Amino acid sequence: MNSASSATPRIEVAQLKVHYGDTAAVHGIDFSVAAGELVTLLGPSGCGKTTTLRSIAGLETPSSGRILFDGKPVYCSAEHRNVPTEKRGVSMVFQSYAIWPHMTVFDNVAYGLRVRRLPSTQMRQQVEHALDLVQMRAFSDRSASKLSGGQQQRVAVARAIAFSPEVLLFDEPLSNLDARLRAEMRVELRDLQQRLGITSLYVTHDQEEALAISDRVIVMREGRIEQIGTPEEIYAQPDSRFVADFVGCANLIPGRLREGDGKLSFETEGSLSLAVAANAALRGEATTLALRPAFVTLTHAGAGQVPDGIIGSVHRRMFHGDYVQYIVDWPAGKLIVRRPPTEVFAEGSKVIISFSAEHCVLL
Amino acid sequence: MSSSTARHARSTQLQSAVQSPVATGAARALHAVAGRARYILTPLVLLICGGLVLYPMMFVVAESFNTGEAGHFPPSAIGLDNYAEMFEDVHILENTALVAGLAAAMAILIGFTLAWILTRTAIPGRALLEQLIGLPYYMTPLVGALSWAVLAGPKTGLLNQLWQHLTGSSDLLNVYSPFGIAWVMALFEGTVAFVMISATMKSMDPSLEEASRVMGGGKLRTILRVTLPLVAPGVLSAAVFVFAEMLGSFAAAFVLGIPARFFVITTAIWEETLSFPPDYGRAAATGMALFLVMLVTLTIARLVLRKGSYATISGKAFRPRPVEVGRLRWVLQFICWSYVGLAVVLPLAALLLTSFQRFATVIWSQTHFTAVNYRTALQMGALGPAFANSLILGLSVATIGVCVVGVLVWIIYRSRTPGSTLIEYVVMFPQAVPRMVFGLGLLWAWLNIPIPIYGTLWLLGLAYFTVFLPLGVRTLAGVVMQIDPGLEECARVCGASWIRQMRTVTLPLMRPGITAAWLLIFIASVRELGASIFLMGPNSKVIAPQIVNTWLASSSELSAAMAVLQTVTVFIGVAILLRTVRRFYGAPM
Repeated sequence: MNSASSATPRIEVAQLKVHYGDTAAVHGIDFSVAAGELVTLLGPSGCGKTTTLRSIAGLETPSSGRILFDGKPVYCSAEHRNVPTEKRGVSMVFQSYAIWPHMTVFDNVAYGLRVRRLPSTQMRQQVEHALDLVQMRAFSDRSASKLSGGQQQRVAVARAIAFSPEVLLFDEPLSNLDARLRAEMRVELRDLQQRLGITSLYVTHDQEEALAISDRVIVMREGRIEQIGTPEEIYAQPDSRFVADFVGCANLIPGRLREGDGKLSFETEGSLSLAVAANAALRGEATTLALRPAFVTLTHAGAGQVPDGIIGSVHRRMFHGDYVQYIVDWPAGKLIVRRPPTEVFAEGSKVIISFSAEHCVLL
Repeated sequence: MSSSTARHARSTQLQSAVQSPVATGAARALHAVAGRARYILTPLVLLICGGLVLYPMMFVVAESFNTGEAGHFPPSAIGLDNYAEMFEDVHILENTALVAGLAAAMAILIGFTLAWILTRTAIPGRALLEQLIGLPYYMTPLVGALSWAVLAGPKTGLLNQLWQHLTGSSDLLNVYSPFGIAWVMALFEGTVAFVMISATMKSMDPSLEEASRVMGGGKLRTILRVTLPLVAPGVLSAAVFVFAEMLGSFAAAFVLGIPARFFVITTAIWEETLSFPPDYGRAAATGMALFLVMLVTLTIARLVLRKGSYATISGKAFRPRPVEVGRLRWVLQFICWSYVGLAVVLPLAALLLTSFQRFATVIWSQTHFTAVNYRTALQMGALGPAFANSLILGLSVATIGVCVVGVLVWIIYRSRTPGSTLIEYVVMFPQAVPRMVFGLGLLWAWLNIPIPIYGTLWLLGLAYFTVFLPLGVRTLAGVVMQIDPGLEECARVCGASWIRQMRTVTLPLMRPGITAAWLLIFIASVRELGASIFLMGPNSKVIAPQIVNTWLASSSELSAAMAVLQTVTVFIGVAILLRTVRRFYGAPM
């Protein structure tokens, strides 16, 4: 991010409200996307993320608010301004890919360039360049109806970038691919976005995808923004129970915050006292503590002293390949713990549970 | 780099679009006009469609209460006499119920059997059979009735001739009977039942049956407890729908009923109108009764289908795993081919054989082949023009109809215009009106308007256009609703204007639907009988009523030749239709 673009964000959304009939889909949200940045709108289905994206594309008419590109309104309810989609200069990758079945791959990709009346040699060059970027040049003359899902996805991306748009919108572009292809395309999309430096807004309900490809993540719920932050912030410092639960996996431990001998502690149900590093939380109130399973360490009981260790026993072990998930009985109930497959604890065995105070997030 | 130039060009364009007050003002004005046009459009479409559909019906309603001078609008005296008179002839109502009930029962039996065999069992030649079974629908009940009259008419019927020749005893079959009428109706109008029931069977998720088998239910138990309850609503609504169709059916009852003086409602309306002096009031009252009964039954069919919609589950077409039927498959195949034989091969063969003889016979030693009937049909003063008129009407109604239907479908299913549901309702309304009754209303409506189109092709064209609106809308809507809105939106996102988007994306994608709708309207126009019979004048004769008149007035040989000509025209249309559909969808319908 350079200083100029942080002064005027490429996309700015202010007080955006969208209604469908009497029901509100988006309740007045604000955010901005800086030039070259990839920002993700993340949330469960029906949270208003796609509606927001479509409003930015001009495919949905908001009920009020403002949408600005480089500081200039493309939608502004106060000024009755609503620039039609085709004049906004955005590009979009659709969830269904929306590959026109009656055209060849080349014609699909060339569409935006033909609309812009590019000379044919230059058009051919740009189409081929775009197809090269997604490794689909060999399919150029193929009829678009004869492509597999993954190939259609690549053509959709090539078509979206061929006319060098300033803003690229992604509407759940990977949700129709199988898991393996999805992981592959995720890397390629991020690569492409970084290489071309296109400002991108990406909608997904897959938290893993959002964390992996974004510069910043906007978590949405029921038409409102829950939290905006880098993937690391969202993961390590969730603002709310919803974010902690929706993004990644978290142990949500109910209890109360106490202050004793100048130190903060969190008292759980089983009268367990945990050291926490909270700053602004209320003392004495019932609250919840979030603890990511990956931040917990297990040690075999009797293997030696562990500072602040808590004794527990392994209730269930599930092998996931990349990690092993344990459900551990401990004084406060059950705790989910994820450990690398190099560490093995048998079901029923006694373990010492430990974690650092900074990973205990008070909600 | 080219991307930066493009980016620069983009921002300038954006700037001009956003900041130039002139551009914004113009755009805003345009937007406002478009916005207002939407509000004008809906009432305008409603007014035109409503006028076309409802205005003629008003005359039927008025005439049915008219106890004064017949055919005089507004009526000089009003009363319920016409309705009372109708109930004096209760046997006509009984006849109608009997024939329609019998025909619907047979059609459902045939349709269910064929649908089950073709969707659920692995018999050889399934694809070919599925196409052949559609043919009787395109042959029309009129041609079907003519051919069965030629086949099984008392004494002269080819089958009866053969029977007499072989056994020396009297007639084997008599198709001039209530059962004969119902038989022909079931064979040639029952295809609808087959189509509806196989759609239900195809949309059923096979895993529902598999679940029953896995849980330990046997084949029979699975059929009784899972399959039948799931398809029951579909079958029931098909039954009600087919019954309503049969109530309004005219051709078979006319060709096979009139010689035996056996009347149903539709033929009674015809008789009342053409008797001297014409009893218009009673015809209108009978027509109203028919219309109301059809409206009620069709509404019931819709309700049953909606209530039982769990049978369709996802709306997705499955190819259910066919049941293994072992040696039974030869029997099932025989059943299918028998239907094709009785509804396609035998009737067409009989018509061809008859049309090429001066006096039709099936006894080979007595045959004398001649092309004189075809010469007469094409040359004779009134018949050649009738054929030409039907073609002119078919071509023009299909062409104009498709354009109008395209706009209507776009308004109803894509534009989010307020009141689009109401437009859909009005446009689909002619479905519930028997075409005979509608023809009668149109006749009176245009006789009472000082625009001299009565007795011209214009009136026929207008009638065809109105009654085939639902057909066109349904066909095109099926295609339009399958087009992912994303395909259109993507064109706009790529920078295309609305007009460019329509030209490069929407219209090309709609092309197979447009072709199909055009051909279906063309086919329906060429074979139209019910409305045409009242609307054709001495200088605007069309083929189907002309066949009927020839049948009544002169020989069955000549009418057979005409029926063959009409069928050939329709079949050419069907062949093009199937080819188009296969080219665009890769598989037969």
